[in-house]
Amino acid sequence: MNRRPLIISLLAWLSSLVPALASEGGGDASLPLNATPVFESFPYISNSMLMVWLAVALITLFCRAATRKMALVPTGFQNFAEWLVESLYDFLASLLGDYMVKKTFWFFASVFLLILVTNWIGLIPGVGTIGRYNGHGHIVGFLRGGNADLNMTLAMGLTFAVLWFYWALTENGIGGFLHHIFAPKGTFHGLMLAMMIPIFLAVGVLEIISIMIRPVALTFRLFGNVYGGEQTLEKLMALMPAKLAFLPALPFYFMELLVGLVQALVFMLLTAVFLRLICEHAGEKAHH
Amino acid sequence: MFPILASAEAENVVSELLGKFGVNWPFFIAQLLNFVLVIIILKKFAFGPIKVMLEQRRTRIAEGEEKLKRIEKQLADSEKTTAAAIAKANDDAVRLINEAKQGAHAFTEQKAQEAIAQAQNILAKAEAAATADRDRLNLELKREFGRLVAATASQVTGKVLTADDQRRINEDALAKVEG
Repeated sequence: MNRRPLIISLLAWLSSLVPALASEGGGDASLPLNATPVFESFPYISNSMLMVWLAVALITLFCRAATRKMALVPTGFQNFAEWLVESLYDFLASLLGDYMVKKTFWFFASVFLLILVTNWIGLIPGVGTIGRYNGHGHIVGFLRGGNADLNMTLAMGLTFAVLWFYWALTENGIGGFLHHIFAPKGTFHGLMLAMMIPIFLAVGVLEIISIMIRPVALTFRLFGNVYGGEQTLEKLMALMPAKLAFLPALPFYFMELLVGLVQALVFMLLTAVFLRLICEHAGEKAHH
Repeated sequence: MFPILASAEAENVVSELLGKFGVNWPFFIAQLLNFVLVIIILKKFAFGPIKVMLEQRRTRIAEGEEKLKRIEKQLADSEKTTAAAIAKANDDAVRLINEAKQGAHAFTEQKAQEAIAQAQNILAKAEAAATADRDRLNLELKREFGRLVAATASQVTGKVLTADDQRRINEDALAKVEG
């Protein structure tokens, strides 16, 4: 068994202990909660927005490289892109069913790829550390993790909420939608039915509250995880002198790579499951 | 921003919270547009062409499998036809050989019969010829014997025998010899 990676990781961990024990309360580096304008003269362009543009540019370049000269026998980028798209498609089809995945694949795959790319390029050294000094003497990075900006995660969360509502109505109809939320689940008759109706009405109200909370939960979950990861890296790097600042953060970079992937998966999976719950029987009519 | 939170106090809390996290309309709309842009780009330049290509490949594979099945079926049919043709050829060959054998046997039999008939014919002819020769020799012998008997009788008696005498003496002599 190759123990070298383990030893390197252990050394990096130990190296972080020395300054942590020696420091007086740690560094003062802290990532602000909000994205900030990159330049004072352009107040509407934030550092996280630049990051998302970078992600968009990378995704565009990748798409163009992968699909410019498509061949029946794929190679290079095309091969990778096909593997990615086909894997995602099959995975989502196992969750949503063949009918719904055809209609909604574009959204879930886009969400996954954007979150993944944004999270990973946010780990490139220089993001958050190269920038200008603000009036308080703190560095304002030219770039900031795209999902460490609540505007971005909120945009995705609310977009999903709108699309969820649209798909739920188009697949179930208004009657079916309300029936799905308020109608008693199971078969009841007579007195039992009369008793169940108010209970399921109350359950329906709770369901509506749950539906309203979903985009908020999606928004803050993604933001919290990415922001927390970046904040951890910032704090760890502040423990060492500038030239060795990367050392304590190094092990966490690997963890953040994993977190970036997991958060993209979690967001996509949760949104897909929420849609599945409301469109359980979608496509059955068309199928029959 | 969230009309569902009706009370002014709740609005204040939300506004304060969103303000703390730097949520504001320009940044939010910009990020929303970024997200929509990514969706459009991916849908147009990635998912669309790739899905078309995957579908095209799936169709070709399905067609290939279909063709393979058809070819296998044709091969099986062809093998069946070939086997049937070989069996038929074998049967024909066996039949022809049998017919040839039977023909040869009949021909041999016929020729043998002809040979036997010819041999019998030759034998019969030979026997007839032998009988004729023997009869002729008998006749000549009888004549000679008659002539000798007549000559002897004539010399013994010293008398010239007539034709009737000679015939009668011959007949008596022959009757005695043959008796």
